Amino acid sequence: MISAVADRAFLPVKSMLEQVGDMMILTGKTIISALRPPYPYGGELVNQFLFALRLCWFPLLVSTVAFGYGAPGLQAGNFLTIFGAIDRLGGFFVLASIREFAPFVTAIIVSGVAGTAICADLGARKIREELDALQVLGVDPVKNLVVPRFLALMVITGLFNVYALLFGIFGGVIATLTFDAPLGPFFTTLLTNASIPDLWGSVIKTTSFGAIIAIISCYKGMTASGGAEGVGRAVNQAVVATVTVVFAFNYVFTQVLLATNPEISVIK
Amino acid sequence: MTGRTWLEVPKEWIASFGEIVKFGVRVIGEVLTGRVFGFFGEGLRQAGILILGSALVIFGLAFILGLTCGLEGAYFSRSVGAPAQAGIFSAWCDLREVIPYAWGYMLSAKVGTGIVAEIGAARITDEVDALEVMGISSMTFLCATRLFAAIVVFPFLYIIAIGFGFFASYLAVVEQIGEVSSGGFFLIFWMFQNPPDFLYSIIKAMAMALAIVVVGLYYGYTASGGPVGVGTATAKSMVLNTVLVHLIGMLGTQIFWGQDPRAPVGG
Repeated sequence: MISAVADRAFLPVKSMLEQVGDMMILTGKTIISALRPPYPYGGELVNQFLFALRLCWFPLLVSTVAFGYGAPGLQAGNFLTIFGAIDRLGGFFVLASIREFAPFVTAIIVSGVAGTAICADLGARKIREELDALQVLGVDPVKNLVVPRFLALMVITGLFNVYALLFGIFGGVIATLTFDAPLGPFFTTLLTNASIPDLWGSVIKTTSFGAIIAIISCYKGMTASGGAEGVGRAVNQAVVATVTVVFAFNYVFTQVLLATNPEISVIK
Repeated sequence: MTGRTWLEVPKEWIASFGEIVKFGVRVIGEVLTGRVFGFFGEGLRQAGILILGSALVIFGLAFILGLTCGLEGAYFSRSVGAPAQAGIFSAWCDLREVIPYAWGYMLSAKVGTGIVAEIGAARITDEVDALEVMGISSMTFLCATRLFAAIVVFPFLYIIAIGFGFFASYLAVVEQIGEVSSGGFFLIFWMFQNPPDFLYSIIKAMAMALAIVVVGLYYGYTASGGPVGVGTATAKSMVLNTVLVHLIGMLGTQIFWGQDPRAPVGG
């Protein structure tokens, strides 16, 4: 009886820890086989890059404009209007857009669009036993399938962040116009408050998000099992794990960035 | 790789939008006309699955984002020279914007894709047809029961999630950064929110939840093409859901707080 209770409590924890360990091993393998020659993954890398770009650009555009207009634009704009300081909205966008929401909207869109597509694709190959067939042919699935996706997602998430920043600020511009305020002060405060550590922090953060998304999605796809429900279940678990890990990482990263660079939180 | 594929995603949305609305109206009709009470037990079972399976991750995400809100609020109010006012940022950030978004993200990730995986699997293993042959309406038994469970469970889950977010902001601002006393934080924190704000926040989150569940049901119910098809449908539902969450969030903000900031400042 006691062992049954213990099994029920500890087996999920044990399997979760095992999965975390497996993902770490996969990360290590991926990095080593990305660096060690030969490099057969060039074509696949370009393909994956264009694939993610084609799928993500439109959802990302809609989401970042909507978020930039709604949360920081309208709410903060309303608050600043009370104090007659709507020109400070630009400065607020450095905090809101560059430091927080452009990275995390990018992460949500990339994990929801490209991550799920990668997981479904690899899961389908696993179910159809193509991965085993590749191994029999002497082709290493990590080198030929995981490495290009890992690198492509890292690069594209970092680049998408810049795109998300621009459209987020565009949302802020629309919000400024709805308050009948001039745009000049918006850009002035935006540019005086923007700093290089903020931008680098933002890009490094999203590049790490890309790595997290790629590893979790590839791992869940390559270990999909269990017939008809298997692939769908794998995508479900992958996206839940990605969202949780990305936000936990975001908290730790923001905290380190703010604490180690006190000059970026000074309002000029 | 022609130019056409670049517009694949928006084209597909426009093509399936009408279908999704039609499907959604049918499912909501099944619930409102009370036909779902024919399977009341199954509805309660689905509600139980939602609570046991999804509650913890939703609270977890609300907690993490509440921490982030508190952190940014503390640093922001310190930088404008008013560290005692960190509560304003946290109150607005949590209640009005970030907890609804956290809710939307985790719901589309956990519940939306979960529904597609389950119903899609039932569809391609012909279980849906088997239900119809037995004279059970698959629409009522599979779809309406899940929507019913969502309607029963989600308001309570969301209110608890708000609580987790508030608690996390308190931890970040008062216990971690520690520039404002607990009493000072709560004075400002509660002053800058009121019951209508709370109600609007719930309306926003429930609109997101309804969209997510209906999209999940639609993609699951219309899945085709073997086990691979279920995976693809799951991925597609996630794409549409993330965008819908952002659009509903923006519309909610515009409608509820667009003209009136509802702040206890000035005349």
